[in-house]
Amino acid sequence: MAVAGVPKPWFGATLKEWVFTTDHKKIGVMYGMTSIIFFLIAGLSALGIRLELFQPGLQYVDEDHYNQLLTLHGVIMQFWWAVGVWGSFGNFLLPLMIGARDVAFPRLNALSYWLFFAASVLALLTLLPGSHIRMMWTGYPPFSLNDNAGPVAFYALVIHLLGAASLASAINLVVTNLSMRAPGITFKKMNLFLHSFLAMNVIQILGVPALAGAVTMLLLDKYFNTAFFDPTRGGDPVLYQNIFWFYSHPVVYVMILPAFGLISEMIATFSRREIFGRTSMIFAIWGIAILGFMVWIHHMFTSGVPDWIRILFSYTTVLIGVPTGIKIFNWIGTLYKGSIRLTTPMLYTLSAIFMFLIGGLTGIPLGLPAFDIGVHDSHFVVAHFHYVLGMALTLAVLGGFHYWFPKLTGKMYSEFWGKVGLVLIMIGSNLFYFLQFIVGLEGMPRRYADYPAIESWVVLHHWQTIGAFILAIGIGIVFLNLFLSAKFGKKTSDNPWESPSLEWLIPSPPPPHNFDKIPHMPEDWDPYNYEWLKKHKQLTH
Amino acid sequence: MRRTGLLALLMAGFSFAQPVAEPAHLWDYMYYIWLFISVVIYLVVFIPGAYFLIKYRYKKGFNEEAQHVKESPALEVLWTIIPVIIVIYLATQSFAFYKTQRTAPANSFEIKVTAFMWGWQFQYPNGKQVIAFFNMFEDPETKSYLPLDKIPDTAKAYIPAGVPIKVLLTSQDVIHSFYVQPAKATEDAVPGRINHMWFKINQPGEYWVFCREYCGTKHSKMAAVLKVVPKEEFEKWYGQPMDSANKVSLNKSF
Amino acid sequence: MAQHEVHHHLGEHEYSFWPLPLGIATLLLPVTFISYFVWQKPLLALVLGGVSVALFILSLAGWAYEFFKKGHEEGLGFPAMVFFIVSEVVIFGTMFAAFYMARVAHADQWPNWVPKEMNLTMPVILTLILWTSSATAIVAEKATHSGKKALAVLFFLITIALGLLFAVLHILEWSHLWHGGFTISSNMYGTGFYALTGIHTSHIFMGILMQIVAILILLTNQISHHKGQTYIRATVLYWHFVDLMWLLVASSAYLVGSLV
Ligand code: HEA
Ligand code: HEA
Ligand code: CUA
Ligand SMILES: [Cu+2]
Repeated sequence: MAVAGVPKPWFGATLKEWVFTTDHKKIGVMYGMTSIIFFLIAGLSALGIRLELFQPGLQYVDEDHYNQLLTLHGVIMQFWWAVGVWGSFGNFLLPLMIGARDVAFPRLNALSYWLFFAASVLALLTLLPGSHIRMMWTGYPPFSLNDNAGPVAFYALVIHLLGAASLASAINLVVTNLSMRAPGITFKKMNLFLHSFLAMNVIQILGVPALAGAVTMLLLDKYFNTAFFDPTRGGDPVLYQNIFWFYSHPVVYVMILPAFGLISEMIATFSRREIFGRTSMIFAIWGIAILGFMVWIHHMFTSGVPDWIRILFSYTTVLIGVPTGIKIFNWIGTLYKGSIRLTTPMLYTLSAIFMFLIGGLTGIPLGLPAFDIGVHDSHFVVAHFHYVLGMALTLAVLGGFHYWFPKLTGKMYSEFWGKVGLVLIMIGSNLFYFLQFIVGLEGMPRRYADYPAIESWVVLHHWQTIGAFILAIGIGIVFLNLFLSAKFGKKTSDNPWESPSLEWLIPSPPPPHNFDKIPHMPEDWDPYNYEWLKKHKQLTH
Repeated sequence: MRRTGLLALLMAGFSFAQPVAEPAHLWDYMYYIWLFISVVIYLVVFIPGAYFLIKYRYKKGFNEEAQHVKESPALEVLWTIIPVIIVIYLATQSFAFYKTQRTAPANSFEIKVTAFMWGWQFQYPNGKQVIAFFNMFEDPETKSYLPLDKIPDTAKAYIPAGVPIKVLLTSQDVIHSFYVQPAKATEDAVPGRINHMWFKINQPGEYWVFCREYCGTKHSKMAAVLKVVPKEEFEKWYGQPMDSANKVSLNKSF
Repeated sequence: MAQHEVHHHLGEHEYSFWPLPLGIATLLLPVTFISYFVWQKPLLALVLGGVSVALFILSLAGWAYEFFKKGHEEGLGFPAMVFFIVSEVVIFGTMFAAFYMARVAHADQWPNWVPKEMNLTMPVILTLILWTSSATAIVAEKATHSGKKALAVLFFLITIALGLLFAVLHILEWSHLWHGGFTISSNMYGTGFYALTGIHTSHIFMGILMQIVAILILLTNQISHHKGQTYIRATVLYWHFVDLMWLLVASSAYLVGSLV
């Protein structure tokens, strides 16, 4: 149904124009809103978890509800926030950065969003009585097939819907990236965000079907009595772990690679110089993506796989530190002899880098079996991935929200409240997650609703919960600032950061069709050539 | 006083005295090696980062523009090669430790442990059994953990001090994981498989075992207590000399 | 390049009615499953399932209609199909992994699991059928490219017929084995056998569906030299993929499975 006539500027569209849209910008915004809402839901369930762990004993929720909260928290944070939010940045930025009017298959793009939305509805249905799920985000059988875990159908089918959404979106966006770049935007000149986004989508295409296969086996075993995970009939529960982690390790790079992309964009803009070692950055991205498929056993060091396999995978695992290190060193190199502006997004970016460093460096010992057997499934692991996900990724995303906020709205957020939010998040998070490392080193197992009153554990959990609440207030301030500024913020120029990257060379907010004419980018243009911008204030045709 | 305290701290990791439990000492070495390397790497990144942030800040009047910087292949090769060497060293060091951590000494005393929802069954070679069921560890009223001294002795698995114990692990229902806190070692109990691990606790006392793989409602109470006692006391409890029959008969019920 | 240099008609491709209802139809599928298996309300499941299927047909038809109405230039469907096939290979891969892990781990008891009825005649016949159909699909594609529509339709029909023959024979084979006591829940051979062959046959139906649409497009003259060719190429490519996969599926499920 084509709505007749010229559509209004996309930002002020009616409800009907939103739900039937195929415009990548609107779809990006819808992804973003869904991700944020679900982030708040998962964050609130995390606060419930933290309250329960505040002191030993069961005070606020019983074990079953604790497990349900934790399952919700894990699943939603992983799939709606850490993965889902890239539907937002990717859709919004990709066509703008490559000089296209839309993605290759706009209708399919809308369908991808509605599948994501369908998964959201299905996930919320688990709140109905009798439908609670408690199998954690990993859903290991045989436990997930046990009635104690709740109906595994929800878990499996939510993942099917999400998988269909990401697969359709990934294929769409890879094809768009490869075939629709405007003349002059070569592979080398492509924004680094696009490089990492491309790698991310390739990982999705290769990985998502594996997860879909694994959860299909869960469905078949539970409802059609097949033998995949039943050892008495020749099946093997460890099979699930192999297939699950074959996807779910690479998925951590699905989450973090685009975050690296955002970091690269912001650090270049605010140092006002090209990324140091740009070519090696691109190689590092693909190195991480490829190596990422060869390390999955490190989640299974204690599951009974043969010892030589554990050793082999420990080597591949720690090798991932090398390309990742190259990225970190290049970012620091980018600061060298720059002209650094400490705006709000830049501060988020820098925090993200230094927090990622802690998360990454604590991932290394987990890859060493000699160390992992002492902390596997303890809060040390939980702290590791909250440093990379809860901090590095979340900070990069929040930085990105600030950075492209003027692009999206044409207005400016409040720098002051943006910085206050960051300070609270940094204090709260570090208090929380750093103590989580220590309680983990002392042996506290994860997914424990209750724990013995070992003196140091009690103190450590106390302060963790306090940290988590400081962090929550910080997050609250950040989103309040953004939403209020969208309404009341000061108007700003089209290109407040003075970046030559293509999305900033068109008006803010972007016009409905992005580009009146497909731009031909001149020889001397480059998304990080800040001198070029002084000569050509506007994109000329 | 302070000097000895400091000394004790230093000795904790690297002393040649008998560790409280094995193979935890290897875990400790791995931990200190990693910690040292990580702190160095963190500083190597952080110090130049912070320095550049101060030195090259935008200021009106000067440093309004970034300066041109040539790419430096030598530097890039350097920060690729050095990490490669470091991580290969780490993995190889871990390999060396892990061999010992995985290989039970030849004279080990074998215990068979079967996990179930939610408890542990310890089977000793002579047929003696201890069952640790979750409700033995919780206060019947408040449902919170009992302190170690309130737990009945019958729920505790006796372990001879200073004797290496080889644990053969399996599960009746879902996956659990056997984590011996003082030994800093974990291995999963998987239905249909027999996994193995070993530990040795030198200092008599009571120690926790926790289930480390999520297994449902009472996962967080699926604990056990190891009561480590001198060998003579163990034999009194066990009812016969330890080494009279120290192999579990494996073919039955596994 | 899928983009025109000239200005599009504004508003032309900004909106589409169909993605949302298609999304709802998809949402109803899992809800149907859950109503039946979890909430145990068969009647509700029946209703929801019915609504879902109806909505599917409606919105797919609407989508296709809109697609051809708008008169698209040659799109990027072909590379998209290539990526889709890559991901399909991974799906099959998971089932192969399950099958081979069990085959290796239980080599000693495996012979007891092989049913007496299992023999290699049927897979050979099935293989021959599919190979022929791959050849006829090539003819159909060539005919389309050179504008011989009638020939193309004929050969697509033949390909579909061969595909259907394959499916029917395969289903007969299944029911034969099943009644001999070799079911999906017998043991890992049963599970692996039916999972591999079942997932493959579902792809056969998918391929047939795509060819039916191809015939409709040909019959309604939506294909010319610069339009619709991509769809045909993608369809035939998919069919080749399904045929090729059969080779791996058959040699695993039958050969590796029953040679002991
Ligand atoms: C964005 C998410 C993200 C990222 C990026 C990572 C990155 C890494 N992770 Fe992490 N991980 C998770 C998310 C993530 N992880 C999650 C969610 C889990 C738990 C899943 C669950 O069970 O629920 C997990 C669990 C997990 C385990 C399993 C632990 C267990 O269950 O026992 C392991 C084990 O090897 C591991 C290792 C690593 C390694 C080696 C990296 C590396 O990529 C890190 C590389 C980075 C650096 C090393 C720092 C920078 C490098 C330099 C400055 C160069 C110099 C460095 C050296 C020479 C060392 N992770
Ligand atoms: C992207 C991923 C991500 C993120 C961002 C987070 C964020 C947080 N996580 Fe996360 N967590 C996971 C992914 C993530 N987590 C995963 C995968 C697991 C493992 C699950 C499993 O075991 O299966 C886990 C497990 C996990 C545990 C382990 C529990 C256990 O094993 O027993 C805990 C406990 O402390 C925890 C706490 C938190 C907290 C407090 C936050 C905070 O950062 C949240 C901050 C956000 C908010 C608080 C909401 C927004 C704020 C407001 C609405 C403001 C108003 C509110 C107030 C002022 C109070 N998480
Ligand atoms: Cu048993 Cu957790
Ligand atoms: Cu991993």
